[in-house]
Amino acid sequence: MFGIGVLKGMAVTFKNFVESYYKKERLTTIEYPEKRLAEKERFRNFPFLIFDEKPEDPRCVACDICAKECPPQCITIVRAQDAQGKPLKKPATFDIDYSICMNCGVCEEVCPFDAIFMDHEFELAEYGRFEDLNYTIDRLLKPKEHFMKIRPTDATRIEAELKKKENAKKAAAEKAAAAAKAKAEAAKTQASQVPDTKPETKPNEPAQPADPPAEAK
Amino acid sequence: MTHAPNVSQVDPALKSELAKKGIAVMKLQELYNWGRRSSIWPMQFGLACCAIEMIATACARYDIDRFGAGLFRASPRQSDLMIVAGTVTKKMAPQVVRLYNQMPEPKYVITMGACSISGGPFKEGYNVLKGIDRYIPVDVHLPGCPPRPEALLHGLMKLQAKIDHQDIEKTEWYQKGLKREFPIPEFGPNGLLPPYNPEVWQPQKRKEITVPA
Repeated sequence: MFGIGVLKGMAVTFKNFVESYYKKERLTTIEYPEKRLAEKERFRNFPFLIFDEKPEDPRCVACDICAKECPPQCITIVRAQDAQGKPLKKPATFDIDYSICMNCGVCEEVCPFDAIFMDHEFELAEYGRFEDLNYTIDRLLKPKEHFMKIRPTDATRIEAELKKKENAKKAAAEKAAAAAKAKAEAAKTQASQVPDTKPETKPNEPAQPADPPAEAK
Repeated sequence: MTHAPNVSQVDPALKSELAKKGIAVMKLQELYNWGRRSSIWPMQFGLACCAIEMIATACARYDIDRFGAGLFRASPRQSDLMIVAGTVTKKMAPQVVRLYNQMPEPKYVITMGACSISGGPFKEGYNVLKGIDRYIPVDVHLPGCPPRPEALLHGLMKLQAKIDHQDIEKTEWYQKGLKREFPIPEFGPNGLLPPYNPEVWQPQKRKEITVPA
């Protein structure tokens, strides 16, 4: 009979239509402002700067590598100076223009000090462009706990690496201090063995300030 | 002469009490804005990859229809909102401005993605417009490359908040003699002419960066 096929098809459509209102696997809509998808750890959106203890001394040392590598050139860094005009290892201004940034993550990859990372924040719509979307350092700085919260795997790895590096540095300093001390003592004994015209002079005075860490050990 | 008390001055506690009994008390303006914000019809046009995210927003997962903005109109005459989703090339910019001119008042613009706000990664290129706000006024800027569908919904909510705060007595589009026709740029030998519309955009003064001691 003509039309049976159409009716069958409409029955399937009607079944699906009704099911889409109560079957749990058919309710796919995420009702966004109230509910959200679970955040993926590797999701990256916009960069932020990290600080360890105080926002006054961020990890960033203003080396300008990220600004040079940034493909759309959206980072502007000015290095801080002390009263004598000597450059400090700290940014005076650090601006990222979010209206240009293309979320590539190159800044995070090239940063040798693990100071800049990609954030998960995406609710960034603003009314103004130049005034609201240019992020200055006070809006970019976030504590390292925030990084640990959003990306625990990467954060633990990077923290461990940093700690290892710091320990190695400390060990090297101690070793150098010990070597300097040994050298100084050797020189002293040598000086005492050879009765010279000036027996009071200490030949290795500059090695003295390196001693305290070795003694602390 | 005494005026009837403004309805918005009604005690909020009384207002919520009435709302429980099914009586909504509001200013005419609030009703009007509620109607407008709940039926923002976007124009169906996308320029580049951000349009893919715009399409994803319209699909079942995020469902922009929950905000009353799901009816993508194919004609600028029937749309309230232009979502400039994607790279605006210099060849396309005159058409974007023309479409904006053809939209009826009140009209709104969301620039979606880095390219349409500022040119993004192509801002140094010869063929890409450095931001559509050089020719038409933009209401909401939505950074990202591309923004997530949720980010577009957030931008739409920002636009709804803006509409909520508009005063119908002071709106520009009910005033007499309003001419919101923006000049359509033409493709000259060295890019677009004029390079920007001075009514809506002025070049930013370069800020002298001083290093604090």
